[in-house]
Amino acid sequence: MKHTGKKAFFEPGEFLKKILLPGMIVLILFFVFLGNGKPDIPDPTPLKADWYTPETARGEILENTVMPGNCFICHSVQVPDPNVIRPQFAHATIKLDHGVNNRCYNCHHIYDRDSLAGDGESKIPFATPEKLCARCHGIIVQDWKAGTHGLRQGGWLVKDGQAPVNFTCTQCHDPHSPKFKYDVAAPAPTWPAKTIRKARHTDNDPKSAYLTDSNQERF
Amino acid sequence: MSTEEQKNFESNNGDQQKSGVSRRNFLTGTACLSAAAAVSLSPLLSAEEVPSGDDFIQKHYKELSAEEKKEIFARLESQIQEKYNVKATISDPPPMEGVEFAYVLNLGRCIGCRKCVYACMEENNQSRSPQKQYIRVLKMKKGTINLETASHDYPEKEASSDDHFYMPVACQQCREPKCIEVCPVKATWQEKDGIVVVDYNWCIGCRYCEAACPYHARRFNFAKPQIPVEDINPDMGYLSNRPRYMGVMEKCTFCLHRTRRGEYPACMEVCPTGSRKFGNLRDPESEVRKIIEQERVFVLKQEVGTLPKFYYTFAK
Repeated sequence: MKHTGKKAFFEPGEFLKKILLPGMIVLILFFVFLGNGKPDIPDPTPLKADWYTPETARGEILENTVMPGNCFICHSVQVPDPNVIRPQFAHATIKLDHGVNNRCYNCHHIYDRDSLAGDGESKIPFATPEKLCARCHGIIVQDWKAGTHGLRQGGWLVKDGQAPVNFTCTQCHDPHSPKFKYDVAAPAPTWPAKTIRKARHTDNDPKSAYLTDSNQERF
Repeated sequence: MSTEEQKNFESNNGDQQKSGVSRRNFLTGTACLSAAAAVSLSPLLSAEEVPSGDDFIQKHYKELSAEEKKEIFARLESQIQEKYNVKATISDPPPMEGVEFAYVLNLGRCIGCRKCVYACMEENNQSRSPQKQYIRVLKMKKGTINLETASHDYPEKEASSDDHFYMPVACQQCREPKCIEVCPVKATWQEKDGIVVVDYNWCIGCRYCEAACPYHARRFNFAKPQIPVEDINPDMGYLSNRPRYMGVMEKCTFCLHRTRRGEYPACMEVCPTGSRKFGNLRDPESEVRKIIEQERVFVLKQEVGTLPKFYYTFAK
């Protein structure tokens, strides 16, 4: 046999035998043993209810209601000190953190503990705390009335006899420490890593266009 | 082998080349090919996402009559019952007259807690594994809006940081949606109330719309969506949150099965900060209208000319 290997390579029968058949066998093996298998996807776990119920955010704050009941039981015998800063006795757990507003009787009526302090001697009932807040935070209360500030639930369409649920100031903000506190955060997406686009620069990278302390003079 | 014999062999060989493949080789090759094809297609036999005959001949959503819709919804409900053992109701509320939805998001209030992301997953029956999320919350350093350096995979302990602000981005429901222009089969379109929807039974999964969207708001189901049975939301809309198939595109629909009944979308209802505002843009008394009139609002990527109905603002 003297024909060259080059000729045999292009000869159809040899081509089938030498390349196509082994190729087919490899393909068949691949599909039978590898291609047919199910991808290894773990069973999904149910979501935490905290992340999608609207109740949790409000429920936490509503617990801030301090010592319900008739305040006169104690306060009828106590002489009020208008300069008291640190709440004492029964209210020792309250930490007043309301900025420069650090006197109890700025907000609480000094002679009527079941009311809040209005202008002069007037009283504001506990049911309408926004009137008290408006004495300092007028602009935000206006925004709140217009719907810009704060949370509204119910529905965008006001149906007959179904008013939207509007939350008042103290339902979200603790009046003694009014900075909005909420720490039930949900985890980052677990998308496949290649579809998550990483930020190109870090916060400390001088090339970043961030307004950081180091490059502040550039802006 | 003599020279003559060699010549003969070569001529024979040449004859064979001219006449093509021999019968034996042809049969062997064909058998191998058909066997390989059969084996390679055999996973289809055990596939769970093979459409039924009725699925296959279903018409485009816009061509369906009321009776046909009723039949299709009943069929889909029975499929869901079979698959998840959940009694679901598929509704299809039509767009309301004189309503155009708009969204306003107050970035000055958002703390990046990602509750909206997960409420959206829960409401819209999104795949949990692999995870699909419509909303991406971008964390950015205060001082500039730099999408290049924003990250949306920050860990949960980095939420509500004082040095950063958080910008949730979902479908912007553009007035000039580029995604529907590129769809070759018109499987996605804009409804009368401005919501861009997808017919999951008509989508061919070419992903042109995903490429066309400047906000990366569309999600493609590369794998079969997996949802735990206890997490299925049985209140489904045909164009919004019914379970999707593998190989179709999906996107935020402003929860149209809720909002067309007058309710708020899930992401807005769940937001603990009240930074999300939703309403009817054509109603001069609506919240969104008042905010757009009173606050300084902006839209994301204004320069691309998509005219979104999703506004951002830095209000108190």
